[in-house]
Amino acid sequence: MLKISPDELKLVAQYIHDISGIYLEQSKSYLFETRLGSIATEHGCNTYKELYQKAKTEPSKIIERKIIDAISTNETLFFRDKGPFELLQHKLLPELIDARTPGSPALKTNLKIWSAASSTGQELYSIAIIINELIPNISKYTIKLLGTDISDGAVAQASRGKYNKFEMERGLPGDKLQRYFTMFGDSWTIKDEIRAMVQFRKLNLMLPFSGLGKFDIIFCRNVAIYFTLPDRQKLFNKIADSLADDGYLIIGSTESLTGICPRFIPKRHLRSIFYQKK
Amino acid sequence: MRNMTILVVDDDPVIRRMLEKRLEKEGYEVLIAEDGYQARKIIPQQHIDVVLTDLMMPGTIGGIEVLEIAKSISPNIEVILITAHSSVDTAVEAMKKGAADYLEKPINFDELFLRLEKIANVQSIMRNALDLSQAMDTTESAAAVTIQNLEIRTAVLQSRIESIISILRDEQTPPYERIYKVLDLLTDQNDFLT
Repeated sequence: MLKISPDELKLVAQYIHDISGIYLEQSKSYLFETRLGSIATEHGCNTYKELYQKAKTEPSKIIERKIIDAISTNETLFFRDKGPFELLQHKLLPELIDARTPGSPALKTNLKIWSAASSTGQELYSIAIIINELIPNISKYTIKLLGTDISDGAVAQASRGKYNKFEMERGLPGDKLQRYFTMFGDSWTIKDEIRAMVQFRKLNLMLPFSGLGKFDIIFCRNVAIYFTLPDRQKLFNKIADSLADDGYLIIGSTESLTGICPRFIPKRHLRSIFYQKK
Repeated sequence: MRNMTILVVDDDPVIRRMLEKRLEKEGYEVLIAEDGYQARKIIPQQHIDVVLTDLMMPGTIGGIEVLEIAKSISPNIEVILITAHSSVDTAVEAMKKGAADYLEKPINFDELFLRLEKIANVQSIMRNALDLSQAMDTTESAAAVTIQNLEIRTAVLQSRIESIISILRDEQTPPYERIYKVLDLLTDQNDFLT
């Protein structure tokens, strides 16, 4: 494994922060080595400084993309941590449907949900499955389910909706597996009816995203933990701008907005917490 | 003892016997099925790590069907197919359907043992990963309870501080009355127990 020097650590950590917002502790040099070592070798670089220079100057941005894919963590599961999905199913969606259903039956109900760090798509597909089960007359709705992630690799896999047995191992109950996936060999592919409900695209949360419009529900779980405090403050402030006034924000179960964004107030429902704007 | 149970499926009694003897000698637990029909009965009833099956067997349940049955019972069951040289193409098709590997006849036992070893390694890594992720889930849910309680409590305190400030600033109310109101707020413990 190619060793990283203290100077290179500083340089590469800064570069990664610039391109992705992800802040890596410089004390964790093994993390840089295990995740970036093979990219360096593959591109004929003998040092991490060389890799940095190549990644920065190369016009196609292929190396930059590979670095983002390598450092962004893609640990994610279907229905990971049941709390938020129960919350969605039993409280947020029913309340939202009540609030959004127009007086005239000729009009459609609009719902917009965003999975802000969608990784390989499991969270958004889980949301789509819940909506599919909860709303029988789905043709009366205009539902937009958007998933975004910084990693091209993750976005591509999410769009394919194809998972191997390791990725399917936990979280998904057997009946949902049978109902919403087609198995071929050792891989499962999400069925078209669910696939058609969602959209994935690449997005760096450090950049402006007001162009996405306003959402009724935003999931932003376990991504801000990789950012510095000032970056987290900026992110949740922008999220507050992108959330409808009566919309809901869900963050990771071990995350907190205390001292990060005073515009949100936490509310408890059973064993879960969600946030609304003050 | 290697801690893996292998189901041997072959209609040829000589091959069956030979596989059983060699695998047991290596320390594997061995189950035997004389054809696909027996295999179909055994697979759901026993804990099986690896199915070693002949590709071509009499009747409608051949190796491919055994593979499909095993994978439908549990994706963690690995299947190795034994094929004649002429049916390698079918074996490759089977790999696409989730077979772990195929071996050509006559069986080279060193090769077979090597493949089994590999499967055992992968299964032990998978078990470790599963243990780790379960440990992570436990830690995470314990941390979540603590953090969520703190989050709610902080919000309650925050709103109380805001009330106190507005009471103290309220110049319409006599000072001592303001102080009593503030004291009430400060000594009300109810909210702290949520």
